[in-house]
Amino acid sequence: MFSPFFYVLKAKGLEVSTTEWLTLMNALNKGLCGASLTQFYYVARMILVKSEADYDRFDVAFEEYFKDFKYYADIPDAIRKFLDKPEVEVDHSNDELFKPRSEELSKEEIEGMFEERKTEQKTEHNGGSYWIGTNGTSTFGHNGKQPGGIRIGGQSALKSAFQVVGDRRFADFRNDKALNIRQFQVAFRRLRQFSSKIEAPKTELDLDGTIDSTCNNGGYLKLEFEKPRKNTVKLLLLFDSGGTMMPFSTLCNNLFQAVHKANHFKDVKTYYFHNCIYSHVYNSPECDYGDWVESEWLFKNLDADYKVIIVGDAQMAPEELFHNTGNYRGPNNGLSGYEWLTWYTKKFKKVVWLNPRYHANVAKLDWLEAEHAIAGLIRMFPLSVDGLKYAIEELMSTKR
Amino acid sequence: MENKTGFNGSESYVASPELMASVNVAIALEKPLLIKGEPGTGKTMLAQAIAQSLGKELLIWNIKSTTKAQEGLYVYDTIQRLYDSQFGEEGVDDIGHYIKLGKLGEAFKSENEPVLLIDEIDKADLEFPNDLLWELDKMEFYIHETKETVKAKKRPIVIITSNAEKELPDAFLRRCIFHYIEFPDKELMEEIVKVHFPDLQDNLLQECMEQFYWIRSLKDIRKKPSTSELVDWIQALLLGGISAEEVKEKMPFVGVLLKKDEDLAVFKKRRLDV
Repeated sequence: MFSPFFYVLKAKGLEVSTTEWLTLMNALNKGLCGASLTQFYYVARMILVKSEADYDRFDVAFEEYFKDFKYYADIPDAIRKFLDKPEVEVDHSNDELFKPRSEELSKEEIEGMFEERKTEQKTEHNGGSYWIGTNGTSTFGHNGKQPGGIRIGGQSALKSAFQVVGDRRFADFRNDKALNIRQFQVAFRRLRQFSSKIEAPKTELDLDGTIDSTCNNGGYLKLEFEKPRKNTVKLLLLFDSGGTMMPFSTLCNNLFQAVHKANHFKDVKTYYFHNCIYSHVYNSPECDYGDWVESEWLFKNLDADYKVIIVGDAQMAPEELFHNTGNYRGPNNGLSGYEWLTWYTKKFKKVVWLNPRYHANVAKLDWLEAEHAIAGLIRMFPLSVDGLKYAIEELMSTKR
Repeated sequence: MENKTGFNGSESYVASPELMASVNVAIALEKPLLIKGEPGTGKTMLAQAIAQSLGKELLIWNIKSTTKAQEGLYVYDTIQRLYDSQFGEEGVDDIGHYIKLGKLGEAFKSENEPVLLIDEIDKADLEFPNDLLWELDKMEFYIHETKETVKAKKRPIVIITSNAEKELPDAFLRRCIFHYIEFPDKELMEEIVKVHFPDLQDNLLQECMEQFYWIRSLKDIRKKPSTSELVDWIQALLLGGISAEEVKEKMPFVGVLLKKDEDLAVFKKRRLDV
């Protein structure tokens, strides 16, 4: 086994499962990697990595793990086994990987000494600096710390860093953690309101109608069809793309992707704002001056049934929210940010705010005046899978 | 890959060595091969090429947004049975008569290891891949109506393509061998084009490649042209009898490469800049 590699991959953020690892072992046993490291690289990658977005992480991990093997003996058995195919001539002396690192002793010298000492030594030695044994600083043995020495089985002490990987091994099970696109997508599936009042051909069997018609038809089957029911939920997404949102760009991007990949919504409109919403919302996350639509245009053109999700950290100076000239990047049109937000809640039946920097105890934190004020106006939820679930429950509830 | 009998590309399909290795590993490990890549990089054609080069039957299951996993296994045509029973047709008492196998079912029943292509799996519902886990793992399913288990005699070679419209569930991904088809570099692209147009003049080819990769390099193009569009474009140029010089000067039929109005506008603007 060369499980340390498994942990390097994990440490680099690759979600490799035991199943996949065993599949790789199976591939090694079947000799699918031939006798080359390059082929091993491709086979390991195709089995362990499931997204091109993770290829780079894999490369980094691969390099980190394999660059440390300056000595042939350092290469774990499982890899050595496939490198050791007798039918394939592998000349290790020319291989970049196996060049000796230790300056005092060359590979040949260490190997020579090893053979010598093996014949000299008759007893077990643990600790110490000469004999072959465990936990020592001799050039040979188990769990040793001599760089470039020959290791006989066991785990190199230098690799103990990978044990750190285990520290957060249950992190994935936390469901308050903001997670990946798929989890957002699954959450968004709850956002459904079915209606058959749509323009579509009648393609679904109408059971009650069929029973009625068949009875009227003297018992001979007569099929009736009806229109399929479709989701009628329309969404208006407003993203804060201010500077303080930078650390959450991946998270927001995941949310954005999830909404756009979920093709079950009747309509999705996306606009951007900087810190707070005023008289205009921008067409693109760059929030370029002039590349915008008026908030009033939204009020006139989108009906009240649009469900509004505002994503932002609600971090701004109080005057940005309360003063009617508080918008330092564009016009206010006579109203403060707070008043504009109030208009949104009046115009649209359902508005929620998702906050990646959510503070549950916002009332006690004086410096979060703006967040507190907004949370009083619009129901605010943390931007996490659970938060999204509650926000969607709020959007679907019938009470205002 | 030291596999003399394995997949080595075919006459009409040029595969990179990594892709060929993936195909052969997937076959050896008896796992489905999941193929992702830009549109037009030949994901779907791969299955055809594998079937052709290994001399196997190809079954294609095209996935649509309304496709259910069950449809791939079997469909019980209750309505037909009801109809038949009213008119006293023969064989009504045999349910098996009204069980129609889907593509997956057909692949399992097939005598000689077919190639099954599940095309654009990401088009279907979010849970679709999860509904197929057992069937793809065990290569069997149970028909409740006839109490019959359909089990593959020989595991079909399963190729699955995805355009990454939706994220696929982890449990599903864990069971697959994954390969991402990179966009071909110039060298490989020339080879691909030559497979389609063996008699293409070299200077025309060079000019087309030049222009094609130039368009792809423009950052503000939203929908980058792909291999299949390049092939269509060259086809159009050949039919129009257009020379390399004309391609360079006028870029005829550029609408074949660029389908969006915005992209055409960008293209015109950038050409003036050059």
